[in-house]
Amino acid sequence: MTIQTVLQAGIAGALTGGLYALMALGLSLTWGMLRVINLTHFALILVGGYLTFELATRAGIDPLLTVVVTAPVLFVVGGALQWAFDRFALTEFNSLLVTFGLLIVVVQLVSNYWSADFQRMSAEVNPYATQSLRLGPFAFPTPRLLAFIAAVVLVGGAHVWLQRTYPGRALRAFAQDRTIAAAFGIDHVRLGVLLGGVAGATAAVAGMLVAVDRPLTPSSPFEWFGIVFAVVILGGIGNAVGTLLAGIVVGALAGVVSAAWSPSTAPLVIFSLIIVALLVRPRGIFVRGGT
Amino acid sequence: MNNRSNGLRAGAATTVLALLLVACDQGAATTSPSATSPAAPSSPPAASADAGSPTPAAPSGEPIVVGSTLSLTGAFAATGAIHKIVGEQFVERLNANGGLLGRPVEWIVQDDESDQARVAQLYERLISQDGVDLIMGPYATPNILSAMAVAERHGYVLPQHTAVIAPLLTYECQFPAWSIGFEPNVYVPTQLYEAVATLPDPPATVAFATNQNGSTDFVTRGLPDDETDPDSRSIASAMGLEIVADIQYPPGTTEWAPIATQLQQADPDLIVNNSLGVDTVGLIQAMKQLNYDPPLVFSLFPAPGPLLGLGADAEGVLSVSIFEPNDAILAQYGPEVTAIVDEYETAAAAAGLPYTAFETQATASWNAWEILIAGVVGAGSLEHEAICDALHANGAETTFSGNLAFDPAQNNFWPSNQGLKQIQGGDWVMVYPPDRAAGTIQPAGN
Repeated sequence: MTIQTVLQAGIAGALTGGLYALMALGLSLTWGMLRVINLTHFALILVGGYLTFELATRAGIDPLLTVVVTAPVLFVVGGALQWAFDRFALTEFNSLLVTFGLLIVVVQLVSNYWSADFQRMSAEVNPYATQSLRLGPFAFPTPRLLAFIAAVVLVGGAHVWLQRTYPGRALRAFAQDRTIAAAFGIDHVRLGVLLGGVAGATAAVAGMLVAVDRPLTPSSPFEWFGIVFAVVILGGIGNAVGTLLAGIVVGALAGVVSAAWSPSTAPLVIFSLIIVALLVRPRGIFVRGGT
Repeated sequence: MNNRSNGLRAGAATTVLALLLVACDQGAATTSPSATSPAAPSSPPAASADAGSPTPAAPSGEPIVVGSTLSLTGAFAATGAIHKIVGEQFVERLNANGGLLGRPVEWIVQDDESDQARVAQLYERLISQDGVDLIMGPYATPNILSAMAVAERHGYVLPQHTAVIAPLLTYECQFPAWSIGFEPNVYVPTQLYEAVATLPDPPATVAFATNQNGSTDFVTRGLPDDETDPDSRSIASAMGLEIVADIQYPPGTTEWAPIATQLQQADPDLIVNNSLGVDTVGLIQAMKQLNYDPPLVFSLFPAPGPLLGLGADAEGVLSVSIFEPNDAILAQYGPEVTAIVDEYETAAAAAGLPYTAFETQATASWNAWEILIAGVVGAGSLEHEAICDALHANGAETTFSGNLAFDPAQNNFWPSNQGLKQIQGGDWVMVYPPDRAAGTIQPAGN
């Protein structure tokens, strides 16, 4: 095993970590700010992926451009879902169960419409799948590179929005103390709908990049669960930047372990790390004062 | 966030973990067996008397009820849908041709949700409460093993489509519709290495990339409880191939770059990817991203459609097959088989399946139904002991795989007729053995 091989695997893994972070971003923010553990977020990613497949395959739209259609659609869906969660006053626990049920419903609907078989954009429709950028001896696979760039942009945007804008500061205040925030006139319903919509839009971007990168099947969300939750928890719930950093660490570590030892060792290492991290820093390894 | 209850958060995390376990279980199942099966007979068989030939009298009387489950939702649903379409097609043709023992046949199929535990419950109910006359196996090896235990307890005959790990299928009245012989871990690699040895420039080195799923890992490593069991690696060495990489990966793997980089570094002449589903798609894609043109690649149990979607990048990929609807193959079989294939393709397209060719899974399903019918006709009754005895005594005549002889000493696994197919010109072509081929095996990239 050469150093170059391990580094190449680490690079590809770190880029994949961008995709994990992108998938985790909306989930982390709605969980942290709104106290909703929204498993339907996985369903929105799935739907985003299938819509990309549909638009690219049937309508001949470049898969990267499909997000122009899918992001607004899923923004509306995400906002509507959050409105409904608020309307029915779901607690954190109940949101977990309700959204798990919704996820199952969506998975079945997707299965009924697109069939349970694997769907993959052909090479003609999706030339990006096998492309890469070369820098010296290293290859940067195009789908993962795009995901990484999108993750940096969206995480950076979310961070600035939460830190520098009124809605962002209001959401953070609401997350810290709902009663006091309400006393200061913060309209949590409208802000929640806005955040739900933003999370939906990020799901659309993640879904598009998933469809560009790999075949789709209705049961895909269940493959994403473990790694995405790992990223959310390690990054710190509600911490956008932490989510990105956790994604990169998890992805790179998985790549290096897979190349240096064995792919079958990677899950063992990653999930052992999560257990240790939760024991040592229960609020996430990228959260200040996380102990 | 500071005043949030730590207990609440810990409870939420615990619940998430519980859901994750449930979900991961489904996810893992995603990567389990979608086997591919045995090849066509050297001389084309006559169509099944029951399903194929016209019968003057319409069936009458109480219907004979066949009960089964299929994975219509969940991890195995993609292939479960194929078996549902084939079953419906078969029963429709059977009833149109006089039924079974002069009676119409009714097929009750229930959704087992790709859940092994549910399979056992449903078969128990079908037999004990619903009192079905006959049963048909579910799809996917874990589910078949669950159903087999129930069938054995009640003494029911169980034809099954796709479980090929012969040593595990010990019930004397289970009848496989797809056989890779009693030792698939010998049959598959031996045939592959013999086939590639016929190339003008045969491979000298081989790398293994193996999914640790139970249906694939034993082909690379032999059965786990037998250190001396031959496998793809020992047979490669015995046949003069040098092993330059041996990589195992867990079911559900979606990150292929680390494996591709190791394969690139090993630079083998042949990659044996004992895998399932879309593993090989991800692997080839990752190799192309590294600007590494893969050598000859063998994929054990792939989903056939997505590999074709790779276009030129998948040209030359080899896999196993028991039947491919290539023109030259169809010409060997005659118009009845062409009609079956065409009917299936129409039904599969109507059901929205992305890949509609009548290939291994569909063939195995058709075989399973013909085994059931042959047993009942041979017994002349619905008595399961008699059906089981009749199948052991007479075997079953099948449309696609000829006469199947069931030897209890081999757990009823018949001599395999499985061959090799290869992607050529954007389609799967049967290439080995030569007497059942529609083309010749080609080097990578041709």
